[in-house]
Amino acid sequence: MGVILREFSFKLNGQPVSVKAPPAYTLLETLRYVIRLTGTKDGCSSGDCGACTVLLDGRAVHSCLTLISHVQGREVVTVEGVDPKIVKAYASEGAVQCGYCIPGLVVATAALLREHPKPSTEEVREMLKGNLCRCTGYVKIVKAVEAAAGV
Amino acid sequence: MRSLADVDVLSPASVDEALEILHQKAGGIKIVAGGTDLIVQMKHRIIGKTDLLNIYMLDELRYIRLENGSVRVGGLTDFATIHKSPVVRTAAPVLAEAASTIGSVQILNKASIAGNIVNASPAADSLPALYVLEADLHLRSKASSRTVPIRDFYKGYKKLDMRPDELLVEVSFKQVGDGYLGKFFKHGLRQGDAIAVVNGAVLLKWDASSKAVSEARIALGAVAPTVVRAEKAEAILVGSRLEETAIVNASRAVQESISPIDDVRGSAAYRREMSTNYVYMTLRMLAEMVRK
Amino acid sequence: MTVEARWVGREIARRDALEKASGKTKFASDMVPDNLLWVATLRSKHPHARILKIDVSKAAKMPGVVGVFTHRDVPNNRYGVFFKDRPVLCDDRVRYIGDPVALVAAESREEAEEAVDEILVEYEPLPVVSDPLKALDPASFKIHENGNVCRATRITFGDVEKALQDCKAVVENTYRTMPQIHAYLETEAGVSYIDDKGRITVVAGGQSPYRDHHEIVSTLNLPADKVRVVIPNVGGAFGGKDDISVQIHLALVTWKTGRPARLVWSREESTISGTKRHSSIVKMKTGASADGKLTANYVEIVYDTGAYAALGPAVLDVAIETCNGPYKIPNIDVRAWLAYTNNMVASAFRGFGAPQVHFAMEQQVDQLAEELGFDPLEFRLLNCVRKGDYGVFRNKLVGSVGISKCLETLKNHRLWRERASLKDVRTYPWVKRGVGVAAAMKGYTLGALPDKGSVGLELRLDGGFTVKGSFTEIGQGVVQAVSQLAAELLKTSIDKIEVVFADTAETPDTSVTSASRQLFLAGNALRDAVNKMLERIGRGVEMVCGRPVAEVHLSEGYVQTSSGIRIPLTEVAETLERAGLGRSVVGVFDVPRVEPIPGSLEIPHLFYMFGAALAVVEVNVLTGVVSVNELVAVADVGRAINPQTLTGQLEGAAAQGIGYALLEDVKISEGRLLTTNLSTYLIPSIKDVPEIEAIAVEDHEDSGPFGAKGIGEIGIIPVAPAIANAIYDAVRKRPFTAPMTPERVYWLVKKQD
Ligand SMILES: Cc1cc2nc3c(=O)[nH]c(=O)nc-3n(C[C@H](O)[C@H](O)[C@H](O)COP(=O)(O)OP(=O)(O)OC[C@H]3O[C@@H](n4cnc5c(N)ncnc54)[C@H](O)[C@@H]3O)c2cc1C
Ligand code: FES
Ligand code: FES
Repeated sequence: MGVILREFSFKLNGQPVSVKAPPAYTLLETLRYVIRLTGTKDGCSSGDCGACTVLLDGRAVHSCLTLISHVQGREVVTVEGVDPKIVKAYASEGAVQCGYCIPGLVVATAALLREHPKPSTEEVREMLKGNLCRCTGYVKIVKAVEAAAGV
Repeated sequence: MRSLADVDVLSPASVDEALEILHQKAGGIKIVAGGTDLIVQMKHRIIGKTDLLNIYMLDELRYIRLENGSVRVGGLTDFATIHKSPVVRTAAPVLAEAASTIGSVQILNKASIAGNIVNASPAADSLPALYVLEADLHLRSKASSRTVPIRDFYKGYKKLDMRPDELLVEVSFKQVGDGYLGKFFKHGLRQGDAIAVVNGAVLLKWDASSKAVSEARIALGAVAPTVVRAEKAEAILVGSRLEETAIVNASRAVQESISPIDDVRGSAAYRREMSTNYVYMTLRMLAEMVRK
Repeated sequence: MTVEARWVGREIARRDALEKASGKTKFASDMVPDNLLWVATLRSKHPHARILKIDVSKAAKMPGVVGVFTHRDVPNNRYGVFFKDRPVLCDDRVRYIGDPVALVAAESREEAEEAVDEILVEYEPLPVVSDPLKALDPASFKIHENGNVCRATRITFGDVEKALQDCKAVVENTYRTMPQIHAYLETEAGVSYIDDKGRITVVAGGQSPYRDHHEIVSTLNLPADKVRVVIPNVGGAFGGKDDISVQIHLALVTWKTGRPARLVWSREESTISGTKRHSSIVKMKTGASADGKLTANYVEIVYDTGAYAALGPAVLDVAIETCNGPYKIPNIDVRAWLAYTNNMVASAFRGFGAPQVHFAMEQQVDQLAEELGFDPLEFRLLNCVRKGDYGVFRNKLVGSVGISKCLETLKNHRLWRERASLKDVRTYPWVKRGVGVAAAMKGYTLGALPDKGSVGLELRLDGGFTVKGSFTEIGQGVVQAVSQLAAELLKTSIDKIEVVFADTAETPDTSVTSASRQLFLAGNALRDAVNKMLERIGRGVEMVCGRPVAEVHLSEGYVQTSSGIRIPLTEVAETLERAGLGRSVVGVFDVPRVEPIPGSLEIPHLFYMFGAALAVVEVNVLTGVVSVNELVAVADVGRAINPQTLTGQLEGAAAQGIGYALLEDVKISEGRLLTTNLSTYLIPSIKDVPEIEAIAVEDHEDSGPFGAKGIGEIGIIPVAPAIANAIYDAVRKRPFTAPMTPERVYWLVKKQD
C-alpha cells in the first residue's frame, strides 16, 4: 500500500497548525494518531456514537466522518479547546462514570449552548441524541447541561 | 475497518474545476461531499477504494433561494440548514420536517441533500418529501447541463440516471401554495436517531370551498427498491372529505404500490403493515388539521 | 445504627471526573507508545469449520510485517475460568465467526490490516448448531469433544408436583430473551511493552488484573514474575471485560518480538468477539394458594453460552438461585442446562444470569396476582422474604433484606397511587398507557465459592495515606468510594488519600471486580488494613515518646494518645522509615460463606441485594412502539457511600434495562451476527430514556463497610419485567419474548385480536 502524505493547515483550538497526513485520513485518525491529541474518542468510527464529536467552524460534526481534506483552512475545536465551565459542570453534576463518552458530549454541549443558551429539556435531548452513553442513563447529563447553561 | 491511507483526495477550488476533473477521470474517482455515507461505505468495504473528489469547500453549491415561485437548493446544502431555513419552512414545510430527522445533529450539520439523493438509499429521509414536491434535479458535466424529475432519476435499486462525469448541483421544486398541507413520517426503531424502517410524505390540497381534497400526493420509502408514489391511494383521496372510510381505504391501497423485503431492521410483512398504518395515522392527523 | 460519618454518605464529585471530562485521562485505547507494532486479528469466516491449513508465508513477507502468529506460537493453547475450552488462537477448529485464527504485527496499522488479508486458511465447513435446544439433543453435531451440554443440573426442594395440585391458581408459560451486547463506548483495547524491570507488561481494559495475569502466564508458559498486568481507567465494562480479550494476544506479540504493541478492537470486532448476555429459554409453572401464597415453582432453564463456556457455568448458577424471585416458596424444582452452540460467546453481563429469569418470574407473579384478585404489589409484599427467613434453598437469610422496603416505597409512590388516572390520559386513540412493577434479587460476593481480597495501605512520608488494591475503575466509581471510606476510617481529609489500583506489580490481589461486591470486599479489607495501620502507627508513637502507649487515635494528620500526646503523622512516618519498621500494611478480608448446596457451584449466597422498578409506558398499537414515560428504580443499598455515584449506578443500570427490554435486538442467522454495529444494534439514546427516578433504600448490612452492600447490578434486573407488566396493563396481551421491539409488540397486539 502506497501511503500518501500531504500537508494540511487549519486552526486547532485557536492555534494554527499544519500536519502531514494521508488526505483520506479522517480528522479523528489525524488527531489521535498523527497529532496525538487523544481527548477526542473513537467509539465506532461510523457516526453512530458521537464520542468523536468536534466543532468544525463552530458546528458539531463527527470527526470520524470528516476527512482531514475537509478541514483544510477551517477551524476545529476539540474537547481540549472547549469552555472549561462545561467540563466542570459535567464533573460536578456526577455525569461522568467511565467517562469515555463525555468529551464528545462536552463538545456537543458547547454547540448546543451556542444555539440555545438557555435550552429546554427537549432541546437538550434533541441536540444530544447522537451522543450515546452506556453508563449514566443520561439523567445527570441533562443536569450537567442545565448547570452549564445556568438554568 | 479499512484504512484509506492510500487514497488520494483532490480538492478543486471551483465547480468548473471539479467538472474538469470529473471529465478527465470519469469513473476513476468518487465525489465526496459531507462524507457521511461515503466514508463509512469505503472503510467498511461496501464500496471499492478509489480516489476522491472533495467538493466540500465549494460554497457556491450552498444556497437556498426562492425565485419565481420555485425553491432552489444548492446540492451541498446540509440538512441542518435546510431544516432551519425560513424559505423551506414556509415554501415546503414537509421537506423541513423530513430534513430534521436525518440522523443526529452531527449528521445534520454535514449531510448534504445531493449526497442523500445520489447515495440512493431507499430509506433516505429527504426523498419522500422530494417526491411529493415533485422536485427537479439539475445535473452538470463539463459539456452539458440537464434537468431530471426526481421520479425518473431512479431506475432501480441504487441505479441512477447519472453519468460518472456529472455533478448534482441543484434541487428545485415549486413552492407549495395556499391550501396545501403536508406531513412527513418516519418509523425508526429508536427515539434517538435511527434509519427508517418505513418513511413517507403526504401532501394534500384541501379545497376550502368544497371541503374536499383536490390533490393528493403520497410517497413511501424503504418499502421498494426506490421510493414509490402510492397512486392508488392518492386517487382514493381526491374528492374525499378525509372521512374515516376514505382514510382507511386510502391507507390500505398503499399496499398496491409497495414491494418490501426482509432485512435486519424489519420483516417485509411488518413493513407492509407499517406503510398502511403510518399513512392512516398521518391522514388522521391531517384531517384534524383541516377541521381546525 | 448508622455511624456518624464525615466522608461516608456525602455527595462529593468524583475525583476522576474532571480529568475524564476534559479528555486528559488516558484510556488503554488512547495509548500509542513509541516504536510500537500495530496488531490486527484474522478471525474465522465460518461459524463452525475444521481448519485444514493455515499458510502465513505470504503475509509474513508483506512490507512492514514483523511477525505473524498462530496457535503454533502458543505453548498452552487453551484457557478459561471454569473449563479450559477456549483457544488463544484456533488450531483444529473454529467454533464461531469471531474466533481468532492469527495475529499480524506490523510497523503500521495499514500494513497490519493488509497482511491479514494475505493469510490463507483452508476450512472445511461443519454443521452449524445455532439453536440451543437443538444443541442439547444428543444427536446434534458435537461442538466440543464432550458434546454440547456445557453444564446441566437440577435442584429441588419440597414436592412441587403435589404442591401444584393443591394450588388455587397455576400459571405455565415459556419465556425467551435474546442476547444483550455490552456496547461499552470503549471497545476492547490494550498496549503491551517490556517495562524497566524486564516484565512483559500488558495495559488493557479489563476487570481482574490477577486473573488476566494468570491466563497470560499459563497459556504462554511464562514465569509469573515476568508478566505484569495493568488496568487503567476503563471505558465501560459491565461484565464484558471480565473475560480475556486482547491481553494474551498482546503479551504474545511483545514476548515474541520484544517490541511494544497495540491492539484495539473495532466496533464490529467488539460486537462479534466480545462476550454477550446469554440468550435464554425459560419455562415456568408456578402456583399459589387462594390466600395469595406462592407455594410451588417448576422451572426449566436453558441458557446459550455460545462457542465457549467462559463464565457461563456460574451465570447458570445465578439463574437457578434467582429464578424464584425474592419470595418464600416452599416447593421448587429447577432444572437447568447450559448449551454450547456456534453462536457468539456469552459470559458475564450486569445481572449475571438474573435478568432473564426475572423476566419470566416477575410476569408469572403478576399473572397469579391477577388470577387470584390481588394487587400486584400487595401480592409481592405478602410473599417476599424478610431478614431471618429461610430462602428457597433452606438457607437462613442472615444479611440485610430490604425487599419489603423497596416494595413499600413503590406502593407509596405517587405514580402507583395515581395509576388509574394516569392511564386515562389519552393522546391519540391508538396510544394506550400502562403501569407495571417488578421486584428483583441477586446475591453479591461469589456466594459459596471461596473469595478473599487484600488491600494495601501505606502511610506516606507527607503524612497522607495511599490505598492499593487490584480493584478496577470501570466507571462505577470504586476509586472514589474507596477514598471516602479511607478518609473516614483514617479520620483525614479526602485529598490526603491516594489510591493506586489494578496493577499486579503494585497492588495486592483484591480479587475480581465483578458480582457487585468490589466495594464490599475492598471496604472490609481496608478496615482490616486500617486496624493494622493503627497498630503500626502506635509502634511509631512509642518510638517517638520512648514509652508504651495503649491506644492511638488519628485526627487530621495527627496521632493522639489517650494521655494527650499529639504527634504529626509526618513525624511518625519518618520514625517508622528510619527504624526500618515499614510504613505499609496489608488488610485481608475473607468473605463469609456457607457450603454450596448439592448440584450447585455457589448457591447460596449469604448476602443479597434487592430492588424493584415501576414503569409507566405508552404503547402505540398501530406501530408496536413502546415508550417509557416514567421509570422509578428502587434499590436496597445497605448504605450509600456516595449518593451521587450510587444514583448514577442505578440510573445507568435502569437505562440498560430499558435497552434490554425494548431496543437491543441481536439478530443471528445460522451463527452469523447481523447486528454488528451501533446502527443496527440500537442502544438507548438520551431520547429513549425518561428522567429516571432512582431511590436508594438503606437497609443496613452489618457485615458491609459502614453498612454498605453491592449495588452495581441490581438496577437492571427488575426493569424488563416491569416494562413487560406495564405493556400487559396497556394492551392486555402478555409479551413472552424480550426485547419487546416494535415489531414484536405490534404482532403481539395484532395476533390475538
Ligand atoms: C450515523 C448516520 C446516520 C444517518 N442517518 C440518516 C437518516 O436518518 N436519514 C437519512 O436519510 N440518511 C441518514 N444517513 C445517511 C447520510 O447522512 C445521508 O445520506 C447524507 O445526506 C449523505 O450526504 P453526504 O454529503 O454526507 O454524502 P457523501 O457521503 O459525501 O456522498 C454520498 C454519495 O453521494 C455522492 N455525491 C455526493 N454529492 C454529490 C454531488 N453533488 N453530485 C453527485 N454525487 C454526489 C457521493 O459520490 C456518494 O456516492 C446517516 C448516516 C450516518 C453515518
Ligand atoms: S466514533 Fe465517530 S461517531 Fe462514533
Ligand atoms: S460515562 Fe461511560 S459511556 Fe458515558
